[in-house]
Amino acid sequence: MVWVKKAIKLKVNGEVKELEVEPWKTLLEVLREDLGLTSVKEGCGTGDCGSCTVILNGKAVNSCLVLAVDADGGEVLTVEGLSDGSKLHPLQEAFIKYGAIQCGFCTSGMIMAAKALLDENPNPTPEEIKEALSGNICRCAGYSNIVKAILAVAKGEIK
Amino acid sequence: MSNYSFVGKPTPRLDGAEKATGRAVYVSDLELPGMLYAKILRSPLPHARIVSIDVSEAQALPGVKAVITGRDTLGVRYGFVDTPSLPADEPPLAEDKVRYVGEPVAAVAAVSEEIAERALRLIKVKYEELPAVFDAEEAMKEGAPKIHEVIKPTAPSFWQEWGVARPSKEQVVVNNVASTCFVSYGDVDKGFKEAYLVREDVFKTSPHSHCCMETHDVVASYNPTTGFLDVWTGHMGFPIKQYWLARTLGLPVSKVRIRRIHIGGVFGGKIELQPHEFIAAFLSKKLGKPVKIVLTREEDLESSRSSQHLAKIYLKTGVTKDGLLVAQHAKVIGDCGAYRGSAPVFIFLAHAFSQPIYHIPNYKYEAYAVYTNKQVRVPKRGHGAPEFRFAMESQLDMLAEELGMDPAEIRLKNFRKKGDVLPNGDILHSCGLTEGLQKLVDRIKWTEKRRKGKEGEKAYGVGLGVAAMFNGAQYYPFGSTAVVRLNEDGKAVVFTGAAEFGQGSDTLMAQITAETLGLRLNDVIVISGDSVLCPIDMHNWLSGGTFVSGRAVKLAAEDAKRQLLEVAAEMLEASPEDLEVKEGWVRVKGQPERGITVSQAVRRHILTRGGKQIVGVGHTKAIPDDPSVNWYPSLHTARGRFTGAYSFTVAGAEVEVDIATGKVRVLKVTVAHDCGFPINPQMVEAQVEGQVAMGIGQALFEELATSRHGRVLNRTLADYKVARFTDMPEVETVHVITVDPNGPFGGKEVGEGVLGALPAAIANAVANAIGTWIKEIPMRPYTVLKAIKERSRS
Repeated sequence: MVWVKKAIKLKVNGEVKELEVEPWKTLLEVLREDLGLTSVKEGCGTGDCGSCTVILNGKAVNSCLVLAVDADGGEVLTVEGLSDGSKLHPLQEAFIKYGAIQCGFCTSGMIMAAKALLDENPNPTPEEIKEALSGNICRCAGYSNIVKAILAVAKGEIK
Repeated sequence: MSNYSFVGKPTPRLDGAEKATGRAVYVSDLELPGMLYAKILRSPLPHARIVSIDVSEAQALPGVKAVITGRDTLGVRYGFVDTPSLPADEPPLAEDKVRYVGEPVAAVAAVSEEIAERALRLIKVKYEELPAVFDAEEAMKEGAPKIHEVIKPTAPSFWQEWGVARPSKEQVVVNNVASTCFVSYGDVDKGFKEAYLVREDVFKTSPHSHCCMETHDVVASYNPTTGFLDVWTGHMGFPIKQYWLARTLGLPVSKVRIRRIHIGGVFGGKIELQPHEFIAAFLSKKLGKPVKIVLTREEDLESSRSSQHLAKIYLKTGVTKDGLLVAQHAKVIGDCGAYRGSAPVFIFLAHAFSQPIYHIPNYKYEAYAVYTNKQVRVPKRGHGAPEFRFAMESQLDMLAEELGMDPAEIRLKNFRKKGDVLPNGDILHSCGLTEGLQKLVDRIKWTEKRRKGKEGEKAYGVGLGVAAMFNGAQYYPFGSTAVVRLNEDGKAVVFTGAAEFGQGSDTLMAQITAETLGLRLNDVIVISGDSVLCPIDMHNWLSGGTFVSGRAVKLAAEDAKRQLLEVAAEMLEASPEDLEVKEGWVRVKGQPERGITVSQAVRRHILTRGGKQIVGVGHTKAIPDDPSVNWYPSLHTARGRFTGAYSFTVAGAEVEVDIATGKVRVLKVTVAHDCGFPINPQMVEAQVEGQVAMGIGQALFEELATSRHGRVLNRTLADYKVARFTDMPEVETVHVITVDPNGPFGGKEVGEGVLGALPAAIANAVANAIGTWIKEIPMRPYTVLKAIKERSRS
């Protein structure tokens, strides 16, 4: 089988990346395998768990459901793009402080879904947070602490 | 207690920043030079003889490096249970027969996953289909298909190797019964005759998945020049996986290195060696290259041991007019699936977890673990407690109702108390049952809420559930040792086998060490879960992480402190008992100007004691009040000591039932949990909430459904529902502090007991709301609606 790779251009965490990708590759696979952005996790591969959530052109998406070629020309933000590790993003600070992290496998997706929500709605109610993040599963179930963490950022308690 | 600096204080987890920035590395993130990728060919049939397997075409596919079948292995069987009377029963790759849909039949290692997958389709397996059986009680009947006949030991058990048990014998399987557990004390017939009221009910529970967000995965890397096998995989303590890999691959235990890596949830599901781990290791050993396997979610739900047992519970209980329990007869049928899995333990634990809660003078327990042609079941959080508690706590409410007694009152009358000695010899050194229930009914305004009743189409109810949990058990490798090393810069490094898989074990061990030694929290480095670096440890099994491993770490820190004070005393010209250590400084009590740093003391120790660094060693067995115990209790008779301490949960659930649709919504869960002493209250509460989510799922919607042909039907997370944000009720934790004399700082378990109590509490709340009993979980809307309709008809 011979597949023609397709050239695509993505702006990932502020950097322009020119890539040659197989047409069946998902954005999730390209981020993880071609760009080494392993914060993006595959929990199901069918868009049901939210572990692979990234922000594509300002919207939270399940990167396992987006073909990389369809994201051509787009702008992608992953958790790696939120902080260089020296100064954390307020959502990262809040997740740590409020005990919103346990095994951590869902955490990157949660933080990106939360960021997309706050970018669109800076003052969400707890109900709006639950609704916006209902596509993200946390099996350790730190749900209430995740809500608390996001509220703390929205209220400016953590900057 | 208020004098503590670190324990008892809500402490954010130490690996928080690593995880929040996406830097934490999990197995699926790992790439090694020359790595190969493997895929597993699985049986499409529930029961069949393998006539032939032709791998020639697959082997010839460019990019394929190896194809293996059961014939290539050493033929050593493994299993969660491997005792003298129950020898390991599972081949890591099917040999002559397949016994469930999804059983591994062959595996391919290739340069990419895609090629490995393509090669699978080229393997030709000829099966001769055999009649299958999917129901445990059907399987027990004469003439049912025989899933196993004679199970021959393929190697000595570790019990035998350690000299604590006789050699294994072959097991002749009759009527598919994999194991039994019979317990009896008092005189049940006499007890039932004396009872004022006797009830008999049958309860059913369903299988459900652990559903860790990280699917099962592994990287194995064998180096033929050193003979070392490195394995990165999810585990709950390395020794058992290390043991079984060594055994099935023919390697020395010490040459199998289980590595520390971030683990994306376990919940019991990653406790034992699984086929994919063996397959990756076997292929790596064969090829001398790293081999990676990441199971898909579909494989994880259908084919891995991602499932708790299903059970049918026949329960007969008698009470006096005053509500005192006088007799109980329980019969439990546990469905183990195609291999024993943990079913013999599950049926034992359903009894064992029930023992410490109520005093029942006349008691008979008979349980059967039965083979069926379904996936293999392994422990899941609670392991027997949620199932048996659902049955017994429901029936207790029924008895209370018939006696006109409040459910809280009947429980208070029968609760065991601190100091009680159980029939097997276990001692309740601490017991917060009565205090927990009293606090809970106060907090939730129990009496008022019981009367809430109906508003329009909604019926409201509140219910109680109670559970108890072990704090570890005396299992392989029979002891836990921990090491605390003081470095020359004054920092402490803790080496413990206790695994960090998200529950916060590393943070807990750091708190215990910092508190004991008088260091700052960030002066403690925890190295855990690596089989080369860390001493033996009895795993975070049966909730022994805090009580057993935490105790070993505390003793190690105390040993290091003794050495530290000895050298510091010389330097400060004082006696060791006059010294105190705080924030990295050793000072003479009451004379803060007379002090040295821990770093200075460590350097001095090395210089003056022939180069000896301060290394503290702590060790414990699982049952500190009787260190002579070397043997896990008999699975068949439940004789012998079970555990060194019990923790207790009383859960209260408030629900709303939609009368028109039968949908149940849990509004609030309040949990009074006796974990002895909450070493990290933030993590205690996180454990409680996690169990609330799973408990709601188990009570209301989580069920692995199997087709008539033995296939799991709900193989995606769209079909297999787990609790999401929108399912979560308000959760409140009431800490019941009992300070167990043998727990580190009095601490006990918090990871499983809540899940034992919650499905029962929800079931009782639903019954309170709709005025009738549903005797099976999960209580799906149609089940609830049917019960409501039947009630209105009668």
